[in-house]
Amino acid sequence: MSDTPKTDHAYDGIEEYDNPLPGWWKWLFIASIVFCPFYWVFYHSGTKGRTLEDAYNVALAENTRLQFEEIGELKLDGPSIAKFMAKDSWVKVGEAVFRANCVSCHGRDGEGKVGPNLTDEAFKNIAEIGDIGKVIANGAGNGAMPKWSNRLHINEIVLVSAYVAQLRGKNVEGRPAEGRQIPPWPAPPADDEEASDDAAKEDGAAKEADAEQPA
Amino acid sequence: METSGATTSDTEVSKTDSSMAVPSIESGELESFSYDDAIVRLFATATIIWALVGTLAGLIVAVLLVMPSISEGIPFINFARLRPLHTNAAIFAFAGNAIFAAVYYSTQRLCKARMWSDVLSRLHFWGWQLIIVLAAVTIPFGITQSREYAELEWPIDLLIAVVWLFIFGGNFLMTLIKRRERHMYVALWFYIATIITVAVLHVFNNLCVPAGWFKGYSVYAGVQDAFMQWWYGHNAVAFFLTTPFLGLMYYFLPKAADRPVFSYKLSIIHFWSLVFIYIWAGPHHLHFTALPEWASTLGMLFSVMLWMPSWGGMINGLLTLRGAWHKVAADPVLKFFVVGVTFYGMSTFEGPMLSVKSVNALSHYTDWTIAHVHSGALGWNGFMAFGMLYWLLPRIYQTKIWSDKLVSLHFWTGTIGILLYIIPIYAAGLMQGLMWRAMDETGNLMYPDFVETVQSIVFLWWLRVLGGLLYVSGVCMLCFNTLMTWFARPATYDVPVYTAPKLSKSYSEAKPAKDTEYNEVPMLDLGKNMSVWAKMGWHRRWERLPVTFTILVTIAVVGATLFEAVPTFLIRSNIPTIATVEPYTPLELYGRHIYVSEGCYNCHSQMIRPMVAETKRYGEYSKPGEFIYDRPFQWGSRRIGPDLAREGGRQSSFWHWRHFENPAEVSPGSVMPSYQHLLNEELKFDSIAPHVKAAWYLGAPYDDEALNNTSEVAYKQAERVAAEIVSQGGPANKMDRKAVALIAYLQRIGVDLFKTPAPEQPAADAEAPAEGSEEAAEAEAEVADNASPSNASAG
Repeated sequence: MSDTPKTDHAYDGIEEYDNPLPGWWKWLFIASIVFCPFYWVFYHSGTKGRTLEDAYNVALAENTRLQFEEIGELKLDGPSIAKFMAKDSWVKVGEAVFRANCVSCHGRDGEGKVGPNLTDEAFKNIAEIGDIGKVIANGAGNGAMPKWSNRLHINEIVLVSAYVAQLRGKNVEGRPAEGRQIPPWPAPPADDEEASDDAAKEDGAAKEADAEQPA
Repeated sequence: METSGATTSDTEVSKTDSSMAVPSIESGELESFSYDDAIVRLFATATIIWALVGTLAGLIVAVLLVMPSISEGIPFINFARLRPLHTNAAIFAFAGNAIFAAVYYSTQRLCKARMWSDVLSRLHFWGWQLIIVLAAVTIPFGITQSREYAELEWPIDLLIAVVWLFIFGGNFLMTLIKRRERHMYVALWFYIATIITVAVLHVFNNLCVPAGWFKGYSVYAGVQDAFMQWWYGHNAVAFFLTTPFLGLMYYFLPKAADRPVFSYKLSIIHFWSLVFIYIWAGPHHLHFTALPEWASTLGMLFSVMLWMPSWGGMINGLLTLRGAWHKVAADPVLKFFVVGVTFYGMSTFEGPMLSVKSVNALSHYTDWTIAHVHSGALGWNGFMAFGMLYWLLPRIYQTKIWSDKLVSLHFWTGTIGILLYIIPIYAAGLMQGLMWRAMDETGNLMYPDFVETVQSIVFLWWLRVLGGLLYVSGVCMLCFNTLMTWFARPATYDVPVYTAPKLSKSYSEAKPAKDTEYNEVPMLDLGKNMSVWAKMGWHRRWERLPVTFTILVTIAVVGATLFEAVPTFLIRSNIPTIATVEPYTPLELYGRHIYVSEGCYNCHSQMIRPMVAETKRYGEYSKPGEFIYDRPFQWGSRRIGPDLAREGGRQSSFWHWRHFENPAEVSPGSVMPSYQHLLNEELKFDSIAPHVKAAWYLGAPYDDEALNNTSEVAYKQAERVAAEIVSQGGPANKMDRKAVALIAYLQRIGVDLFKTPAPEQPAADAEAPAEGSEEAAEAEAEVADNASPSNASAG
């Protein structure tokens, strides 16, 4: 390196070469500067669909479609819960909702912790299957059971209700039974549902389109 | 070997004076002077002690994460209380003292002048150690702002401002003014930038309204507080951990290698671009948050532009070693420097990469950030400081270093320690990020249970403990080697006296040659002039005008700040108002104060990003208008536990009670320690008033009842919460426990967004005349009913 010119600087014995800026360094620096206005204009010139909020709404609508296209928007009542209780693939979805939101009080298997055991035959706030959905949506016991209507999609409430309904009778060891004995759940609606299922699907698709509008 | 070179270099100065080719001969009268190396010895000793304390604290918090129960519910040694202690000790105690040792040693020699005032030097030293001790005492006791790296409360902040700006800054600037070297070397530019910028950051970030001696309420709220805090937080990294260490590198690396610096031009360009660009980059810590999107984009773009200016320092460091690599093989000091500078290069590539929004979407809140920070802190700051210390020890103690072998061993132990720390933590960060966002084919979260994502990385946390252990043992070697070297010091230190001419008042710069390589080329004069300009003679002029230089740096830093800060504060549309968002009730405000003192932000964020995987897990994403009463903001930067931005109403109050008592019982596999003390400690209702007054003073609309009857209002709400706990199966008569206030706050977080606006009634929860438990139940029901179901589809 003896051929590189030195500056005439010396500080406490430290000298400095007068080397030019390395070419790759200079050009990468310039490139990173040039990149910026283009990026800015692309995302911040007001074109629709490029803001975070727009992107989120698209992704959310897509997710809702992926999850519920088949079933449309459900009604939160006894028959829907009973119907989905018998459909294993949908009970699985309900289980995912349960694991995300309910295990901290009701335990991983519904055996009960701060909240009651869901796997026995006794119930505190429930007389018939539709009440499960009501309790989940609106809460119960002076806030002991929180309300979930503004946290979960209506379908999620139905499906998690279905999951909870089918926990009954598994009798997982946990919190002792609380509340009163209630009559068994009604039998799930018979298979003639299949036909009306298709109708429901179309109906649901229409509602689905509505649901895509940002709330 | 260079480290055993003992005092040889101390004589270099006088050699320099007589034999070095000095461009324009100074003709002033000769003055004799000596250097104050005693102050360097003080700062070097402090550096070593705090290096041990800081890294040991890190090791302890790493162990607390994998074995949370060992804190036994003793609040002072909980992870959330000790983690800020670790970061503060590492940054302000260890790195801080290392900076001061470097500045005091090199500035005197680069200026050919003793520090301006020995008294100020000592005041600086003892003042700074006092600050550190005060920090170490207050933080474990929960006296904290809970704003990252700005945890210390206002009285200590005042002390810092005085010690840093007036004592240190004043002494430094006066030394520059009284110097005997005409031009300032690049290391000094970096020191100037450090002093100015840290002072500006510290003062403007910590403006607050006191509520007693131990608590201040930030003058900024919510989004603006977040903006200011990360403007500070990011630039604390920039101007406390980067620029002074670059200054250190520019002095000690060429000294140790005995090689000229690679490029003067590169020094100029990367210095100014670094100083100007760095200050903009703060918002990249707030991607996808409620910060306005334009600010976040600015943060990202300036971070991308920052890549090359940062690498300019790395190149200038590494290329200075051209032709000296055989020395690196033999000299552990240079080995420390090479690894340090290499880690600098890695971190400053990773930084811009992490600031790219799509990468940040994955990395943010995960351990990836922790790995990134530690490759910078352990690799760059740690190793640069160690290299400097090993170079300094024989010189300041004027004897051979006790054991060169131990230095080498420290180097290898440290290097392996860093790798064993960062590699598992990178893996942990990636796993967290990927598990949090993983969706199955039905569009549901694959790992809906947060604890599952924690449990799957615990074994990587164990590996980190091992890496940390190695790094700490390296620091122990440094301590021992220093101690043994110190024992071998001479009875009295030799204080050489140097002579140099005083700077004359008049000075004319040697004009840079007008001729360029384009002299004979037929082209516009403009081009020829630009070629002359590119030779940087104009900058040479600045280098001999320290006051002008300082002003220019200030303009660069403050100007860049204003460009970003002014719109953040002035554009109203940045924070759309939400009609239903109301101030916290006195009890909730005090509960929030407990949340802040316990340092919950160390593990829990309060910021749900607009991403499907996130809103599915936590609920509707956070809106800017929700935080207007949050002083300080508590968005957090890390999720060791789940986000809490929509915690209100998610669990029953009794669940929270049980959870504080023993988190692992209600949430098996949880790494949260017990907060039993909150269930026992008495809630002093009459200490709530100053908090409400401060919040009111800062603009929160409290009515007379809440302001003048604070303790009654709070007590009534506490009774309601306690009644709720009882009705849910909990213990009776707990209304006077701290946990009740904290639960009241937790039940309030994120619920206002869903309230239906009350028509014409500014009635806050606080003044509801709830006396019996019946009314209490009604009030609760009201709150619960207010949630608007129209938002349901968003979940």
